Amino acid sequence: MKLLKQKLITLQMKKQLKKDWMLYLILAPTLAYFIIFRLWPILGMRLAFYNYKARSPWTFAGLKYFTMIVKSPAFSDIVKNTLMISFMKFIILFPFFVLFAILLNELRVSGFRKYVQVISYMPHFLSWVVIAGIWIAALSVTNGSVNQILNIFNLPSIDFMTDKTKIRWILMLSEAWRSIGWDSIFYYTAIIGISPSLFEAAEIDGANRINIIKHIILPALITPIMTMFILNLGFFLNAGFDQVLNFSNDAVLSVVDILDTYIYRVGIQNAQYSLSTAVSLIKGVVGVFLVLGTHLISKKVTGKGVW
Amino acid sequence: MVVLGAITLTMIVPLLNILARSLSGPEASATMGGLEILPKDFDLINYKIVLNHPKLMRAFWNSVFVTVVGTLINILLTTSAAYVLTRPNLVFKKAIMIFLIFMMLFEPGLVPEYLVVTKLGLMGSKWSVILVSAVNVYYLVIMMRYFEEIPESIFEAATLDGAGHLRMMFSIVFPLSKAGMATITMFYAVLRWNEYFKASIYLIKANDTLFQVVLRQFVVLGDTTSIVGQQNLFNYNDLARIDYTALKGATIIVAIIPILLLYPIVLKYYAKDAMDGGVKE
Repeated sequence: MKLLKQKLITLQMKKQLKKDWMLYLILAPTLAYFIIFRLWPILGMRLAFYNYKARSPWTFAGLKYFTMIVKSPAFSDIVKNTLMISFMKFIILFPFFVLFAILLNELRVSGFRKYVQVISYMPHFLSWVVIAGIWIAALSVTNGSVNQILNIFNLPSIDFMTDKTKIRWILMLSEAWRSIGWDSIFYYTAIIGISPSLFEAAEIDGANRINIIKHIILPALITPIMTMFILNLGFFLNAGFDQVLNFSNDAVLSVVDILDTYIYRVGIQNAQYSLSTAVSLIKGVVGVFLVLGTHLISKKVTGKGVW
Repeated sequence: MVVLGAITLTMIVPLLNILARSLSGPEASATMGGLEILPKDFDLINYKIVLNHPKLMRAFWNSVFVTVVGTLINILLTTSAAYVLTRPNLVFKKAIMIFLIFMMLFEPGLVPEYLVVTKLGLMGSKWSVILVSAVNVYYLVIMMRYFEEIPESIFEAATLDGAGHLRMMFSIVFPLSKAGMATITMFYAVLRWNEYFKASIYLIKANDTLFQVVLRQFVVLGDTTSIVGQQNLFNYNDLARIDYTALKGATIIVAIIPILLLYPIVLKYYAKDAMDGGVKE
């Protein structure tokens, strides 16, 4: 009986497959893309265990490159930089994104609110090359706006871009500049989704705006905040490659060199293929566990996952 | 209100300053401060240089090509895959989704991808940049959410009318998901236009490079020689006497303009809920 059922299911599957052949044909180019440009390189990551040879087959190297990484003093600095920059961007910064959404909701003049939205969402769409260009100009010692403002208050000019003690803050602030509007949309839509009757009831009870924010808006934001916070943890090893590459220079490299810039420099610029791939592999595997882990936690805590 | 106003000023003043500087004459712009937002001694010289610059313009049109063709391929693959993956009773659907999500989570290393591109003979070809980012799984999932909202009865009716999958896609599903299509088209186009990193690795010949790559070389890395030209610097002619900060500004503005042209569409479709949010009051 069980066998018969099994057979019936396979028969049904076959029938469905035959009926849907066109669908698989439509899907084929996309699958081909993932197999050629994503899966193939992933399989190629075994290079981390081999010595690269351009013409002859690779020779097995065992864990040589991994011991090289662990022993290299630069690597621990790079991990430290990566975690530090991620911490500043994801942990220090993100209460301000929530605050931005709350303030936006407090604006009574809808014309001004639209103006704030139109302006603040826009930097999200600029490339990091353009943003770096704008920031380098604004922070310039000779005629940048920031140093001009400092000079007005009789403060000396600062060369921010080459100052090791300031560059990470510049990274954090430029990230805020780019994302505060766009990333606050997530919280803002949660606020405008709150039922108006809650606000009306609170107003009848004589609650002021601070009370309303404390007792109605913040509780409604707890789930989105948790979701975002957990999601950010999953991407902790990324720290923003495009941004760092465009904001870094030789003077500050030692404090902003992150995993991805290291992978690029060692792999493409110095052509140490195996070493670079070994770092990619470590980052990839840890990254998958971070995202999967945070996904499961998020599903459990907030009912919402990464996908 | 003051805080939000101040934040928007930090965004708008630097941009207007760059714009003002780029529209000023070379002598005037050189003495301009960072807080001035009106051009002095109005002059289009910087734009004349940029728009007649063979290197910059070639890179500009390369970027246009990669953006248009790349986005078309993105849309075609993403929407067709999203259509297939939202059909009911699709055998292996779960397996395919797990495969795609794994592909999204596990980033292949930079070097292995570089070696694959080399092996395929795509090194130096614009197709390398176009093909390595042909589908984005996030946007695929967004598209699937839009398609799932179309009621099943519409599909049933169309099937009864004898519509095949291709006709179903192009004459029913896509037109019914206009907002979704507009949204992902925008996102893809912005990604394409802003692409510089892969281009800087794969497009090795100077003739094939993209605008953002040249922009980075000029504005971020400060390489004026390659833009102005050794010979011009040596002769100290008009081009060499230009105010480089203003010329950089003009190049930045040219890179931003296509984004600003697309920006209203984002606001109209993707950020619609947030933009309309205030009406409750």
